[in-house]
Amino acid sequence: MIRRHEILRTCITAVVIGIVLAAIYALWLRYQVEPLTRDGKVRADLVPIAADVSGLITEVRIHDDEVVRKGQILLVIDRPRYRLALDQAEANLATQRVVLAQAMREDRRNQAMPELLAAEVIEQGHARVESLRTALGQAVAARDLARLNLERTYVRAPVDGTVSNMTLQPGIYLNAGKPAVALVYDHSLRVEGYFEETKLPAVHVGDPASVYLMGVADEIRGHVESIAAGVEDRERGGGDAQLANVNPSFTWVRLAQRIPVRIAIDYLPPNARLIPGQTATVVIHDRPGNKPVHRSLPW
Amino acid sequence: MIEELHLFGIYMPAALVWASIAGLLAYWLRNLLQHIPHYELLWHPGVLELALFALLWWGLTLLADNFLPRAWVS
Repeated sequence: MIRRHEILRTCITAVVIGIVLAAIYALWLRYQVEPLTRDGKVRADLVPIAADVSGLITEVRIHDDEVVRKGQILLVIDRPRYRLALDQAEANLATQRVVLAQAMREDRRNQAMPELLAAEVIEQGHARVESLRTALGQAVAARDLARLNLERTYVRAPVDGTVSNMTLQPGIYLNAGKPAVALVYDHSLRVEGYFEETKLPAVHVGDPASVYLMGVADEIRGHVESIAAGVEDRERGGGDAQLANVNPSFTWVRLAQRIPVRIAIDYLPPNARLIPGQTATVVIHDRPGNKPVHRSLPW
Repeated sequence: MIEELHLFGIYMPAALVWASIAGLLAYWLRNLLQHIPHYELLWHPGVLELALFALLWWGLTLLADNFLPRAWVS
């Protein structure tokens, strides 16, 4: 009787331990294996816009957070100065034309009477015409450059986008090449989820994904567009053509790296707004036909 | 799937919240467990409580993932 009692007790305990293990396994699958992350960000490409010519800003045609079209004029830089430069180049060109015309007349006259003039003088006149012709070419190029500069005093939007963090005012001096306005390229809006490397085997390009923005209940649907080709190796320093500089310390407790996975947006609920920098939760759904990847045991 | 809960301006991992609730529930259900017949048949009553906690945690997670409207918690 005592013996039966003990066997029963052992069995029940074993069953209960089995239940504990099964529940822990289910919890592990749900929280550690399923490909989802709370660490996602809305991102977009930023287009820094720089003026091609230096000068004072004479007109600011945009305001902060304005949506602009490709080719729209954003800023106008000191047009009077560049117009004067064009005038000067045109005047130079006219002078060159006059000088060349005179030299050509002289040359024609000289060549008409070779018996009166030394061959050297005729040659010199001919050479003068040739050199003036190249000088005319230079003057034409200088005029075209001045015209181009004048055109470039209009700073235009290179892509469709939204102006962000714009503080320019008329009167500010802009240097050529220095970014003045940042444009958020609207067509490049996407969500990037940073997935732990342990979850990556379950992520495939093309898998459907759900994105939930912080504070927004509606689901944004998308699909996996690409997976980052690499992340920085933080254990290793040293550049190209140098010896590897590997960190000598190796921690006992390690954390999985996070790899950016790019989610293209397919459906945005009405009134939802994507702002680069927003936090998002990304859930990736399995697609039938995905080849299962063998993981380390027991999952 | 509910991965994050919004509690008074703080976003917490759902796992933490469900585990806390499961822990409280398991603690409360302990008293009931002690009244089931043949409780003495258990070798280690603590194991049963652990099983109860794990099942509650898993059950809460499953229920929340499938039935909890996201608008309530995000």
